[in-house]
Amino acid sequence: MKKFAALTAIALAWMSVAAASLATASGAVQGKISISGAWALYPMALKWAEEFHKIQPGVAIDVQAGGAGKGIADALAGMVDIGMVSRDIQPAEVQKGALALAVTKDGVVPTVSAANPNLAALLKKGMTKAQFADLWILEKALTWGEILGTSDKSPVHVFTRSDACGAAETWAAFLGKRQEDLAGIGVYGDPGLADAARRDPLALGYNNINFAYDAKTLRPVAGLAVVPIDLDGDRVIGSAENFYATRDDITAAIADKRYPSPPARDLYFVTKGRPSSPAVAEFLRWVLTEGQKYIPETGYIKLSPDTLKAGLDKLAGR
Amino acid sequence: MRRALDRAAKRSMRLVSALPGILVGAILIGLFLKSRAVLSLQPLTRLLFSSAWKPLKGQFGLLAFLSGTLWVTLAAMILAVPVALLTAVYLSEFAPRFVRSLSKPFIDLLAGIPSVIFGVWGVLLVVPLVARLAPLFGAYSSGYSVLAGAIVLAIMILPTIILVSLEVFAAVSRDLRDASLALGATRWETVKHVVLRKGAQGLVAAVVLGFSRAFGETMAVLMVVGNVARVPKSPFDPAYPLPALIANNYGEMMSIPQTESALMFSALVLLLIVLIFNFGARLILTRIERRIQ
Repeated sequence: MKKFAALTAIALAWMSVAAASLATASGAVQGKISISGAWALYPMALKWAEEFHKIQPGVAIDVQAGGAGKGIADALAGMVDIGMVSRDIQPAEVQKGALALAVTKDGVVPTVSAANPNLAALLKKGMTKAQFADLWILEKALTWGEILGTSDKSPVHVFTRSDACGAAETWAAFLGKRQEDLAGIGVYGDPGLADAARRDPLALGYNNINFAYDAKTLRPVAGLAVVPIDLDGDRVIGSAENFYATRDDITAAIADKRYPSPPARDLYFVTKGRPSSPAVAEFLRWVLTEGQKYIPETGYIKLSPDTLKAGLDKLAGR
Repeated sequence: MRRALDRAAKRSMRLVSALPGILVGAILIGLFLKSRAVLSLQPLTRLLFSSAWKPLKGQFGLLAFLSGTLWVTLAAMILAVPVALLTAVYLSEFAPRFVRSLSKPFIDLLAGIPSVIFGVWGVLLVVPLVARLAPLFGAYSSGYSVLAGAIVLAIMILPTIILVSLEVFAAVSRDLRDASLALGATRWETVKHVVLRKGAQGLVAAVVLGFSRAFGETMAVLMVVGNVARVPKSPFDPAYPLPALIANNYGEMMSIPQTESALMFSALVLLLIVLIFNFGARLILTRIERRIQ
């Protein structure tokens, strides 16, 4: 009994010394950061984790996807340090203590299979917002011929996301509704939806840019094609509306606002209140300053200096 | 001194073995407390029998999910039970011993494969199969349907039913079989009139256990079933089972207050159904075991 008590006392003492040494001076931080949430932010979060680990090797960062809904739920429940959220934060979530920092920007694009028999006409004419609303909100049983003004009688197979996510919420916001109003077969996860669209020649879905475009070739993923949005409704995709060929084209269009927001939107890191762990605080500060330079090469859009400054102020509690 | 130690050991082991029961009770109470919010807002009948699920408009009808779960589970049972029972009969009564010992590890392997792998396999193979099958019956299907979910589920519950049925058949006394064969009955007649008759209750329990496994299976089913919140009208329609609802909407719980309560309520309904079936199956199985002794 006495030996056991002595051993426990020594163990506790050792652990408290170790914990105290976590917050050392000289700017080096140590600790673990857990991040979970939106598929949209997943590639960027991985890149940031990698680069941050190079300059702060004492910090281990663990990133998991699972949808924006999971991200915000995990962050507010205290299960992860940072939640990745690819949609606007609801007032009810702010009331529960959500502190959202806009860290980058990207967009959602409508996608079809590259094997779609009407692909040529689709790329020339595009589709309008009203047509998207007819299919996704009003659930009209349209054929590809009715969409494109041809005689094709094959039906449009509409797909959406089954999990609570930012991509669906953003796409629905573009159509003036919420995710629960979107019709179509629900598929789990961004890669799942891209896969469903790829395998069904008559499918119509939507994806985050980084799942629609291949990261290496910068063109749409093999088997997938991006539907141009006919913004002015003239049923012709002119040079002013044609920015879907490569990932750089679409990100440039989002940056100078030629592509509407929504479906382009800010992406957020959400914490429960101001972060208490010095590692998390330092990571977030770095993301909003030096981390921004990794954004264009990963296929996202940089934020304006004002937005970043507002974020830094929020982080510092000003 | 030794007596005190013996008593202490007995008491602590009693506490530990009561733990599963206490945990289940704690989960039930927790779910019930969380469901009270939505139960006080909407009458129970509207929650269970309305098919309008629009949380942002305050509509929490679970009919589409309950019927989706029922459709997929029943279809899976229809596909799995005959195959499983006949497999168990063959392995127990007709197969040479080496076939039996060879199949056992494979059945155990099938039981151990993670649910997600069945889901991925289902998306790659079963969904296109159903999509191609539907036009032969004059219907259209994207492939994500009740049938796809049922096929994947049927394969997942096969091992459960087979293994329990094998136990049931092993419990039928050798003497009965020997007596029947001695009287001149063929192997199949023995099986039909003696073994199956004697093991009927146990087989019911095996089927019920398979049913409750199918009822609660989440990941594999949600990947192939289509997740459309509407009451399915044919096996080629998409469905939205209750476990998939909870898994998909976990994220919304934080943003919309009643949604958490509604999802907890659906979790409660799911748990109660599974518990009732499991409890019933266990009762039947214990009665059989007691009868053998």
